[in-house]
Amino acid sequence: MAMSTSPDALLSPQLMAQLERLELVSRKVFRGRLKGERRSTRKGQSVEFADFRNYVHGDDLRFVDWNTYARLDRLFLKLFFEEEDLHFYALIDESDSMRFGTPAKLRFAQQLAAALGFIGLIRGDHVRIETVGQPVARTTPTFRGRQSVWRMVEHLSAIEAGGTTALAAGVKNFCLRNPGKGVVVLMSDLMDKQGYTEALKYLLARRMDVYVIQILSPEELAPDLQGDLQLVDSEDGDIAEITVSGPLLKHYHDTLAAFVATAREFCTRRGMTYLLADSRTPVEQLVSHYLRERGLVR
Amino acid sequence: MTTINMLAWWQWAVLAAVPPAILLLYFLKLRRTSKQVPSTYLWRKAIDDRHVNSLWQRLRSNVLLLLQLLLVALAMLALLRPGFSGSELIGDRFIFLIDTSASMSSTDVQPSRLAEAQRRAGELIEQMAAGDLAMIISFSDVAMVQQAFTDDRRELQRQLSLIRPTNRATVLSEALGVAAGLANSLRAAHSDSGADDESAEKIGSEPATIYILSDGKFPDVTGMTLANLTPVFVPIGNPLAANVGITAIGSQARDSQDPPQVFGRLENFGPQDISADVELHRDNSLFDTKLVELKAHSSGGVVFEPGEMRAGAIELRIRPGGALALDDRAWTVIDPPRPANVLVVTPGNDALSLALNTERARQLADVEIAEPDFLETKDYQDQAAAGHYRLVIYDQCQPKQMPQANTLFIGRLPPLESWTGEGRILAPQIVDVDTAHPLMQLIDLGNVKFAEALALKPPGGGTVLVSTDQGPLLAIAPRDSFEDAVLGGEIVGRTDGGQQFANSDWPLRLSFPVFFLNALGYLGGAETGGLSVQPGQPVTLRAAGPAESLIVRTPGGASSVLRRGPGEPFRFTATDELGVYTVSEAGQPPRHFVVNLLDSAESDIRPRTDIRIGHETVHGQASWRGARSELWKPLLGLALAVLCLEWYIWVHRQPSK
Repeated sequence: MAMSTSPDALLSPQLMAQLERLELVSRKVFRGRLKGERRSTRKGQSVEFADFRNYVHGDDLRFVDWNTYARLDRLFLKLFFEEEDLHFYALIDESDSMRFGTPAKLRFAQQLAAALGFIGLIRGDHVRIETVGQPVARTTPTFRGRQSVWRMVEHLSAIEAGGTTALAAGVKNFCLRNPGKGVVVLMSDLMDKQGYTEALKYLLARRMDVYVIQILSPEELAPDLQGDLQLVDSEDGDIAEITVSGPLLKHYHDTLAAFVATAREFCTRRGMTYLLADSRTPVEQLVSHYLRERGLVR
Repeated sequence: MTTINMLAWWQWAVLAAVPPAILLLYFLKLRRTSKQVPSTYLWRKAIDDRHVNSLWQRLRSNVLLLLQLLLVALAMLALLRPGFSGSELIGDRFIFLIDTSASMSSTDVQPSRLAEAQRRAGELIEQMAAGDLAMIISFSDVAMVQQAFTDDRRELQRQLSLIRPTNRATVLSEALGVAAGLANSLRAAHSDSGADDESAEKIGSEPATIYILSDGKFPDVTGMTLANLTPVFVPIGNPLAANVGITAIGSQARDSQDPPQVFGRLENFGPQDISADVELHRDNSLFDTKLVELKAHSSGGVVFEPGEMRAGAIELRIRPGGALALDDRAWTVIDPPRPANVLVVTPGNDALSLALNTERARQLADVEIAEPDFLETKDYQDQAAAGHYRLVIYDQCQPKQMPQANTLFIGRLPPLESWTGEGRILAPQIVDVDTAHPLMQLIDLGNVKFAEALALKPPGGGTVLVSTDQGPLLAIAPRDSFEDAVLGGEIVGRTDGGQQFANSDWPLRLSFPVFFLNALGYLGGAETGGLSVQPGQPVTLRAAGPAESLIVRTPGGASSVLRRGPGEPFRFTATDELGVYTVSEAGQPPRHFVVNLLDSAESDIRPRTDIRIGHETVHGQASWRGARSELWKPLLGLALAVLCLEWYIWVHRQPSK
């Protein structure tokens, strides 16, 4: 398959080369449906020895350790770790607010999802790309295996901002569509006026391994505004009249810091991993550095 | 710190409405730039916390509004003209009398006293408040209204700058008269300048302050009260200023054949003894130099012999001349003696004819002798009216009208009401002769007798030259620019039958021809030295021939053509320039006259500390407090900087497209 090397490509060859060495890690071990490359709590057939146990009637004789039987004259069964596949969900916020930023927050989310998805695919995990604005009825394909990389990329590229679904409703829909467990990475700016906590609670309820990556653009992190302005909300058209001044900007930064701190604390308390990402941050740096630190990949 | 109100109350009211208007406009129409953002979520929280839309928050955060208010405040402050330590004007109507006389050209105050006076007057004008009125009068020996009452400070300053120095003497009384007259009657002038009726009324009724900016080199003003005018004397000049000037110059030949001598009188008005070089220039080239030592506050003379010269200009220069340059040069001219035209009208007088026929008399005058019938002819009347004759001697007769000439009447009175007689006197004894008068120089009449004479009563201004025990016998009195001398007694008389008899033995005396030589010299005006006048004085010129026009060339080279009315001499008035003036007449050699300062009062440049006007002594302001240190310029500069800052902020607040 020809690989795109255009600058707009979500995955560059260099990035893929870096990512090939990584794999997705879940702090929770879930029961997979298909045999995968992931060690399961279940004992099963693999090459990795786990334990011995006494033979009971009916056990598969193929797993009897005949060497032990020869020495001890007792039947022991060799147990091996079962290797299972992992379900990886990339949940992208496609609301209008994600359109903003240089580079755009949505673009950043797409790149990040592509990178994580790529890692999952080459390790044989199930990868699904979901958006918050997606209705319940519409299902997205599950990608598995290296051959699905470009289908996944195409699917990601087709995502455009413009959804109007609230974050909580969108996440709820996602949960209804995907009853299974796995690792879910929510990529959003969390700028939902109805709050983001409800959405995160839905994910928690599914006992999923939740990663929340809050993507903010430089314009939000350090707004470069001056004068008397009428700020128009891109999603609901709300108007805020401000007169930019040093104190106001300081207050904005304080508010932002408090907002981020609240989100981080909310996630940490509930076993979710929170990460604030500047949309200018290179994806490879985010994946190979920050996400590795936080244990999503290794 | 003091302030000067520059605006009327209604103008202040308009200005005071500006800041509220700015605030109103700001709140009514605050122009906000619309900008789409991902979410107003955080902004909304930030502004909700800060209550940013509250009044105070709006004001505090809007730098542009604050700068606009600051700009208006600075402008208002500048209009109050705050400043420090200036001379304070007294009252609200001012008359500035600026001395432009010769002494004001002194450079003891740099650049000159007049410039200093203009500067100080300018500073006073600058301190005028709104609605104050001022007038500017420049004066020397004449007063000139430079600017009538106005409240237009710019016009006052412009007119002040147009004042130029003159070479004239100083007379304050005329300027005071003009000021007093204008101050109390010039309502019309002010209403012309656009003032309203209220201020016009003020002119007519309120007192004014006269600022006299002068060095005080004028005679005290007597017989004048200033009434509602308050004089303030601002002395200009350095009391220790040193000056040396030429205060007199003359040239004279001991005899017509001798070369002339030039006399100069020098005065040192400074507190130091000095030695000065006096140079004699003949026709603009240096001829001789003498060193003169002059003690402080003393005078001295110098005599030059410029050698053989029949005609030409002689100039004396003194170096160093001190702070006043105008008196460092003086001129005199030697013109070839021009015989005067003298008419003698007599029915016959041998003694008189003999006395006017001496060699010396022929040098001095062309004497024409005529019978009394000649007085009736048109020739006589035309020539007498045109000033053809320098002197007319009427012996035993009188004309119907006085000629345009000096006259000597013998035994008759002039046909003027001012000349009267006090009756006939017999055998008068001469008791006194005024030998100081040029007409009577070297005259001894002690042994002269008259049989009969008329006791004279000369008009006002006349001088009795010979007195007898019974009344004046010979007197002289001015008439316009002429002089009339009258001898009360005849020299020869005639009986009714026409018989001639001797009325006096004077023809037998030596004093007789001498008297007529003096008469030819003095009344005939045949002088070797040219006429010298002071700057500004009019000059009466006579044509040698029947010319209708003369051309006068000034020292600066400007020429003017003089014409005269019928029966009038030529009059030249543009004598403001010092130096030698040349008079050209068709068919005649050029003549000269000179304009010299020759004024001890002007050359003595020490400024007076006080002056007297009427019975009032006006003390000079001891120290000049100088101009106010004005703050309005820095304030306006600051306002401009605020404006630039506002512009800068406004431009940089515009969102980038």
